[in-house]
Amino acid sequence: MRVPLIRPAVLLAALAALVPAVALAQGGDRGRGGVVRGAVRDTRGAPIRGAVVGVPGTTLYAVTDAAGRYRLAPVSAREVRVRAAAIGYAPATLTVSLASPPADSTTADFALEPSPLELTPLDVVSTKVPRFGDRAATSVAQVTEKDLDRRAVNTVDEAIDKAGGVQVLNGQINIRGSTGYVQGLNSRVLLLVDGVPMNQGDRGGINWDLVPVDQIERVDILKGAGSSLYGSAALGGVVNLTTRDVPVGAHGRLRVTGGVFADPPHAEWRFRDKTGLQGGVDVSGSYGTEVAGARFAVGERHSDGYREQDARDHWQTAGKGRWQASPRTRVDVSGAWAVDRYQVPLRWCVQSNCDNRGQAYQPFKIDQDERGARTDSRKGYLSAQVRTVASERMAWQARASWLRTHFTDYRRTSSEYAEANRWGAEARAEVHPDSTRAVLVGGEATLSDVTSDIFGTHSQSESAAYGESDQAIGAARLTAGARLDLLAVDGGSLSAVLSPRVGFTLPAAGGTLRASVGRGFRAPTMAERFVHTVALGFEVVPNPNLRPEVAWSAELGHTTPVLRALRVDAALFWTEARDLIEPALVVDTAPKIQLQNVTRARILGLDATVLAAPIPDRLTGMLTYTYLYARRLAQGGTPEEPLAFRPKHLLTLSATYAPGGGALDVGGDFRYVSRPERIELEGFVDERRVAVKVLDLSAGWTHGPLEIRLLVVNALNYIYNLVPETLAPVRTVSVTAVWSY
Amino acid sequence: MRLGALGAFGVLLGAAACDGGLEPDPVCGRGFVGACGTAHYADTLPDSTDAIFVVAFPTFPQRCADLLAFPPTFRPFPPFALPRPYSDSAAYALPLPADRYEWVVAVWKKQGSVTFSTADTALFRVAGDYRDPADTAQRGVVTVPTGAAVGDIDFVVDFGNLRPVSSYVACASR
Repeated sequence: MRVPLIRPAVLLAALAALVPAVALAQGGDRGRGGVVRGAVRDTRGAPIRGAVVGVPGTTLYAVTDAAGRYRLAPVSAREVRVRAAAIGYAPATLTVSLASPPADSTTADFALEPSPLELTPLDVVSTKVPRFGDRAATSVAQVTEKDLDRRAVNTVDEAIDKAGGVQVLNGQINIRGSTGYVQGLNSRVLLLVDGVPMNQGDRGGINWDLVPVDQIERVDILKGAGSSLYGSAALGGVVNLTTRDVPVGAHGRLRVTGGVFADPPHAEWRFRDKTGLQGGVDVSGSYGTEVAGARFAVGERHSDGYREQDARDHWQTAGKGRWQASPRTRVDVSGAWAVDRYQVPLRWCVQSNCDNRGQAYQPFKIDQDERGARTDSRKGYLSAQVRTVASERMAWQARASWLRTHFTDYRRTSSEYAEANRWGAEARAEVHPDSTRAVLVGGEATLSDVTSDIFGTHSQSESAAYGESDQAIGAARLTAGARLDLLAVDGGSLSAVLSPRVGFTLPAAGGTLRASVGRGFRAPTMAERFVHTVALGFEVVPNPNLRPEVAWSAELGHTTPVLRALRVDAALFWTEARDLIEPALVVDTAPKIQLQNVTRARILGLDATVLAAPIPDRLTGMLTYTYLYARRLAQGGTPEEPLAFRPKHLLTLSATYAPGGGALDVGGDFRYVSRPERIELEGFVDERRVAVKVLDLSAGWTHGPLEIRLLVVNALNYIYNLVPETLAPVRTVSVTAVWSY
Repeated sequence: MRLGALGAFGVLLGAAACDGGLEPDPVCGRGFVGACGTAHYADTLPDSTDAIFVVAFPTFPQRCADLLAFPPTFRPFPPFALPRPYSDSAAYALPLPADRYEWVVAVWKKQGSVTFSTADTALFRVAGDYRDPADTAQRGVVTVPTGAAVGDIDFVVDFGNLRPVSSYVACASR
């Protein structure tokens, strides 16, 4: 069944039609309720962008723009405690009074003291409602704008695998060992862009370059099952990309990057006579007033690659608009489109498949049978969101979205293609009956379709209702909620999945104790159900009867400051999963591969983060360590064994030194990941693999609107692979210059 | 003091990261058992080329059937193939049990399906073989020692002189 392309337009038009109605409905409220506005600066008077200002226990919150400005409305006439906080600064509270009647406007300017151990003040991912100032019941990690700038990455996945418990395997994200590596056929982690789900409609995977990295302000990573709010794919966690808001005034940004790849460290591995280069340009411009604003960005990147047949070209465009339709209603529209053409170094060369120069394998060269393989890919999204703050006690939000992906794989003997759409719509209401309680209720619908020569022509729908309540009980907070998802394939019978979650936080031992338990699930993707192709010489046959994967996740964690210069966060986690979908060899007339619900698994471990500021304002450091015990449980005749592609130890050490606390900074990240005990398809692929030991170094210089950064990724040119026969990046030296106006 | 500690920490990290990683792995090293050498290519590669195999015969085959039946046989198919691309020269390592081999031969195969019968001889040509270094007019004998490899087993693969196996042994079929 081919779903007509009119649907996204209809969805968005319906949303657009809703906005004037909402604005008109709010028209009668103009003049009712006051406004608190002001600016957040540091103690030297510099504006702090991305600070959160709000009235705890209400719907009122705002994020400061580039000039540090914020605006809260509608605030009822009374004495109000306004709180401001930003990562790296101590939070502050001001009490302001608004007279009545009529409620007027007042100003509250904040000057925040540096406090390098402060965590992010806003959690937008663990409860869907922006939570101001409270710690979440489930572990959440953040990659800040500063982290993204310091690492000068080209795609966001290059930055987030430094977060504790997170590992990216050839583009496939693992949070606490959730996914393993399944060659892009699915993801047990859900990607959100500004809260909108963006996993591919057909394969369920993630396109990390969907949003230009220069447009991303912050990344929030929820660790553990998030299906009670987000539904399918949030089995192992959720990653939310927050894009930059459109500031007031005219602004421009130019980002130019260029770099070189190191040659192989051994003469026997040389594969080309010239040095591999990479580079790119991103340009964006925006104009905004307090009522409306828009930004448009374009960019291009080219890379020669660090291996044979590894060149890549990427073109992208993105836009974002905002409109304050009424004092209480804000509309956001965003979209992006990216086009890629990349050569595919599918597998490295093992003996007899290239000029091996007397070597058993050549990791920089490719199997000659795959020479000429390339992929053309196009993807884009469009989303619109409306948020109306009806009062301090109630707000509602609605959104519509469309994600489209298309790829064509060109191989020597054949080509494969798929084009897919994913339409989504959601409406939710946030109610604060009193200052101690918040209730969220909502509904969500998703329709995906695919047309492909290997997946067929199919559609899949998911509709859901969810609710969650957050209650303060003394100093503790209790959160409980559930979501019911109804799934249907090709309009067939519905299957239902219930995903509850409960959690609490409690001040304890000078810090905050947290605990949560929840159920997550992942619906089989259409690619998994209907794929029919050939892989590794075997026919891959469809399995329309696949069931959703389900898992219970629990964690117990504590975060606390220690000795004024340290903050320690540690969590024990436990996941029990069943019906995990994995390839199985079935024997019919000939051996074939089929995806089946074959695996029961147990993943437990420890996640710890130590944040240190031995020289406040100059030297900061972070250590994250994750221990994973990931087992595939015994089933039938299969004995218990390690889950494939899960390392036991992940360690990241980061340090940044800014002499004088100002224009110059230097830093480094060291990443250690132990060698995974088991990989899939052992015996069919080259099993060579080693531990990951990668050191990245960076130095940055800022002068007015110009920032120049030197980055040396994999400074020691450590040669390693994360997945079989696919070499990970070698040393790359790059210079990135960003000019912001 | 703190900066000194940071520097020492950096050195420690560097030392840790210098250790290990993927390393070159010579086909003829580390316990490899068999014959190693270099294949030198001459003339133009035919368009119909499917692969070039290297096969070692303990005794020189007397009959056409011996070509497929002698150990190591062509089964499991395919046998050891020389690395692509077939130009200039290429190092190779042919896994073999310890033994004495009278004929180490490069076999060119044209495109087509193998039936494991004497009819297959139509698909194969002798492209070159190992010659005695002391007298290149003679075939060289290769002795693979127990638990080790024998090196310098070099030969020329001459695409301009592909000879049918019937030049060496009598074959009833074609």
